[in-house]
Amino acid sequence: MVQPRAVPSKEYQIKAVFLYNFTQFVEWPANSFNEAESPLIIGVFGKNPFGTYLSETVHGEKISGHPLVVKYYSKVEDAEGCHILFVNQPKTTDLKKVLSQLKSRSVLTVSDASTFIQDGGMIQFLTKSNKIRLLINSEMAKASGLTISSKLLRLSE
Amino acid sequence: MILKNTPIRQKLMAVILLISGAVLLLTCAAFIAYEYFTFRKHMISQLSTLGEIIADNSTAALAFDSQDDANQILAALDAEPHVVAAGLYDEEGNLFAHYPDRLALNSLPSASAKKEFFFENGYLHGFLPVMQSNKQLGSLYLRSNMDAVYARFMLYGQIAVLVVAVCILLAYFLSRILQKGISDPILSLAETAQAVSSKQDYSLRAPKFGEDEIGFLADDFNQMLERIQSQNQEIVSFNQKLEQKVEERTMQLAEANKELESFSYSVSHDLRAPLRAVNGYAKILEEDFGTVLDDEGRRLLTVVQDNAKRMGLLIDDLLSFSRLGRKDIMKSYVDMNGLVKSVKDDIEKTTPHRAKVIIHPLNPLVADRSLINQVMVNLLSNAIKYSAGVESPVVEVKSYKEDGEVVYEVKDNGAGFNNLYVDKLFGVFQRLHSNEEFEGTGVGLALVKRIITKHGGRVWANGEINKGATFYFSLPDNKST
Repeated sequence: MVQPRAVPSKEYQIKAVFLYNFTQFVEWPANSFNEAESPLIIGVFGKNPFGTYLSETVHGEKISGHPLVVKYYSKVEDAEGCHILFVNQPKTTDLKKVLSQLKSRSVLTVSDASTFIQDGGMIQFLTKSNKIRLLINSEMAKASGLTISSKLLRLSE
Repeated sequence: MILKNTPIRQKLMAVILLISGAVLLLTCAAFIAYEYFTFRKHMISQLSTLGEIIADNSTAALAFDSQDDANQILAALDAEPHVVAAGLYDEEGNLFAHYPDRLALNSLPSASAKKEFFFENGYLHGFLPVMQSNKQLGSLYLRSNMDAVYARFMLYGQIAVLVVAVCILLAYFLSRILQKGISDPILSLAETAQAVSSKQDYSLRAPKFGEDEIGFLADDFNQMLERIQSQNQEIVSFNQKLEQKVEERTMQLAEANKELESFSYSVSHDLRAPLRAVNGYAKILEEDFGTVLDDEGRRLLTVVQDNAKRMGLLIDDLLSFSRLGRKDIMKSYVDMNGLVKSVKDDIEKTTPHRAKVIIHPLNPLVADRSLINQVMVNLLSNAIKYSAGVESPVVEVKSYKEDGEVVYEVKDNGAGFNNLYVDKLFGVFQRLHSNEEFEGTGVGLALVKRIITKHGGRVWANGEINKGATFYFSLPDNKST
């Protein structure tokens, strides 16, 4: 395992901000939080490409009273309690496993993987003419009890 | 006042129209001013609403760095033609997207994080924050032109003009009808006054339209007319009575005069016969019994004869005086120079005298020749007679024109008279001197006055005792007529 760099590439800085921004355009069902002040957890599965940038970005931020927390997972089972899960460079088998594992949970799944949407993921980052674009599978999100803002859906390629 | 000399109808009309016009204009102005301010507010709230929507829609574009999306959202402003420019700024204030595409970027102001609206350079400018879940993602700038305001005010202006025009027209027609209530009574009063003064007809009356001030004025006016009319009638009837009286008196007077004249004529005429007898018998007595009578008898006979002669003269004068009243005057051109000269010669033939008679050039006359001759005989012989007593008697005759009259004067330096008694001079049988002093019947000057008066002229005199007398007569200067 290669140690994550402290300063991620520009691309991942943007993605980190995007991950944070998702919290503003997505609504989670109330039962996904134990309490009113329960943290909203942004999880990173697999290798951490953001370094400390992501946790710095969300540091001290609150969404609807939920403080934002970043957690790093290496096991799918651990990731069940998070709200956003960034799945980094998964192997296809791993990916399917992760997605099926989280299917019944209200977790917004995000990944760079090129087949992420086909495999049942919710938001896939694309790089298009040097810009990061989004592919969104709103059906999947809806099935998981998540409400994605129409404004965000507009941006889906 | 500008309307000082315009008719009262137009004055009233102008007043009504001016007032209603002013009120309408003020009302319209107030309404438009009110509308102007409310419409500005309305514009702000409209732009604000529009901005809120755009800002809200732009959040995801800003959050996820999607300029395409932002441009798309801003492009929706196409539907709002008044919005001429828009700019979307990110959190750091950098321009993220703008509208329309062709907009010159430097025409956009730098970002403002606050929500604010202001009017500047004929545009409404607005800044709104772009918020998502209480987090500011950037800001939005909108610029709207004022065409809506102008269009609206154009409409208001047109409506105002129409309303004012219609109202003024209405006011005009209403005032045409309503002002009659005021102007008609005044005008009819004025007409009546005019008719009264031009026709001098005081029987006219002003019609009364109502119990207002003008009605009272008409009443007063009519009362005045009534008074004038009745006074006029009084004057006229009084005049008529007066004239009638004067006529009556004149007739009575003329009758009395006639009677008097015929009386005096017949008296003098009848007096002649016995006088002739007295004279004749006195003469027979003198011729046949002159030698028988002694000196005293002859002296008494002479006294009788002298008195009879004097009485004859008196009767002659009286006759000619009374004849004058019955005679019409026959006017003709009279050369006074020749007339006076012949009178002078005649006198000198019968009455020798010492007086120096100076005849200045005299104005000619148009008058009864024989009567004027009589006047000159009387005046000239009087002058010679009354100046006979002085050392070097001088008699002057001259004439001159004065105030449209020709004046003749006969002046002597003789006995004169006391000016106090000048009024008595021209009366019949009025004498200022005794018969012993100067012979005379007292009819001469009365005759002069009568003749001159008959010619429409005047006589007067001037004198002082022992310093002479001047007698004047004047006749209207006929040359001018």
